Amino acid sequence: MTPRERWLAILSGERPDRIPTDYWATDEVTRRLQREFGCPDKEAVYTKLNIDGLYHVDVPRKFPGHPDFPGADMWGVQKKLVDYGSGTYEESASHPLESVLTVEDVHRYPWPSPDDVDFEAVKHSLRKAPAYRMVRCGEFEPFLTYCAMRGMELSFMDLLAEPDIADAILGHLFDYHYRLNERLFELGKGQIDIMYIAEDLGAQSGLLMGLDQIERYILPNQKKMADLARSYGIHIFYHTDGSARDVIPRLLDVTGIEILNPIQWRCPGMEREGLVRDFGKRVIFHGAVDNQQTLPFGTADDVRAEVLDNIRIFSGARWICAPCHNLQPVTPTANIVAMYETICEYGTL
Amino acid sequence: MNPLLEKIALCVERGKVNMKSPYPPDLKGQEGADELAKRALDEGLSAKSILSEGLMVGMQKIGVKFRDNKVFVPDVLMAAKAMNAAMEHLKPYFASGEVQRKGTIIMGTVKGDLHDIGKKLVSMIFEGGGWEVIDLGVDVPAEKFLKALQERPTAAVGMSALLTTTMINMESIVREIKKTYPHVKVMVGGAPLTQDFAVKIGADAYSPDPQGALDYLNATLAA
Repeated sequence: MTPRERWLAILSGERPDRIPTDYWATDEVTRRLQREFGCPDKEAVYTKLNIDGLYHVDVPRKFPGHPDFPGADMWGVQKKLVDYGSGTYEESASHPLESVLTVEDVHRYPWPSPDDVDFEAVKHSLRKAPAYRMVRCGEFEPFLTYCAMRGMELSFMDLLAEPDIADAILGHLFDYHYRLNERLFELGKGQIDIMYIAEDLGAQSGLLMGLDQIERYILPNQKKMADLARSYGIHIFYHTDGSARDVIPRLLDVTGIEILNPIQWRCPGMEREGLVRDFGKRVIFHGAVDNQQTLPFGTADDVRAEVLDNIRIFSGARWICAPCHNLQPVTPTANIVAMYETICEYGTL
Repeated sequence: MNPLLEKIALCVERGKVNMKSPYPPDLKGQEGADELAKRALDEGLSAKSILSEGLMVGMQKIGVKFRDNKVFVPDVLMAAKAMNAAMEHLKPYFASGEVQRKGTIIMGTVKGDLHDIGKKLVSMIFEGGGWEVIDLGVDVPAEKFLKALQERPTAAVGMSALLTTTMINMESIVREIKKTYPHVKVMVGGAPLTQDFAVKIGADAYSPDPQGALDYLNATLAA
């Protein structure tokens, strides 16, 4: 089977030839693997490690950043590169909606438009998609952008104290993504397999916000976005970090997710056996190779043992093997190799 | 207990900041922690009782509910906002020494890590538990912790990391602190951390939630 056939088989409830695999990593890790394996590109790493990774369609804009805010991203948020020793990551350094006091202020903000997307480049990227890879296009994670634009503390307090402002900001973010995704889906009709809907609703040991806030602010827009994707025959991949068990029934019933990532099984409530028992018939589990302890700080044998555990625990359900979030430079190459090798050796179905 | 102090505690727990604040909807138009603290002082209640029988009671309740997953990040932030509004009125009493805190804790997210909110939530719970917090912010190197300790050698230190790539920076920071200040208690926390890791790097305490860290401070260090 090709990587795409494996994903499509598992999505339609059929049995692939082996457990599919996926890859999430920082650029530093990908560059290191390329160097160590003598691979010219990421695709060659995928081939070497038998990774059934997705093909990401590029959705570039016609110009970088935001016309009104030099040095900022498309939302008007200034970014800062932070050096953590073995690599760098980008963090928000300004919050353009921080001082917004009224709904009118929100409407007056220079929001980006989907018209600024370079759809010719999207077409080109779609044409380049290899037939053997799942094609991923379309994203929706509005509260993450909300936090970047408004600052995290105010964003969370808005949900309680400023519902009108929260509705207004989320409304603009939804409109942008809905209009953009509609054009992307139309452009890629019949070519796009999967879209990403995400919102980090879990912290390490419980939800970040209450179920009533999730119900009020998060789920209705997710459902509309998922309905749009479904109307084009596109599958729904969902990401939430952390301990999110309490919201899974609603993600299934309202949003209608098909794949749930990343299954941080060390978090309370995310124990694999319980998830398989309660949701195994309705959702595909994606991830589940621990990226807080096992992959970064365990041995290759620890990784093998965990993958074998997963094969056993998920045997009555559907599982796509991947690290729980981006592999970081602290993870030894031997551990990464062990994860994929174990699937190839023992993950035949 | 004095009904005014009970009301202050309730306003903190419910996140009712001031009369203007529309949240929570069922207390709309009523006095919040801000006005009530001022009124309590005007009526002759001591700043100490407002802190310990009002603000700390409210924050203790929210801290326990947060630990038990009964309330979430937005609720804690609103509670802290209400506490801070009342605390403004107590500032002169802290400055004059009339009201003493239990001690001081120096907080920071470690070098290479810009994640602020977890450390802030813990700081809020500490302040609400009667501790003075000196927040060094994010991306804090060992030198900055040491400089703060130079000014407050009896303080404890709390440090946070969200990433596996930055939690390993904690080890050298703890070592540096312990080299100069062997008796200073160092607490660590953050999503990927564990008790084993805390022990391995020589930290004195770890807690998966802010209330547990406060319990540790109260049990081992309270003046």
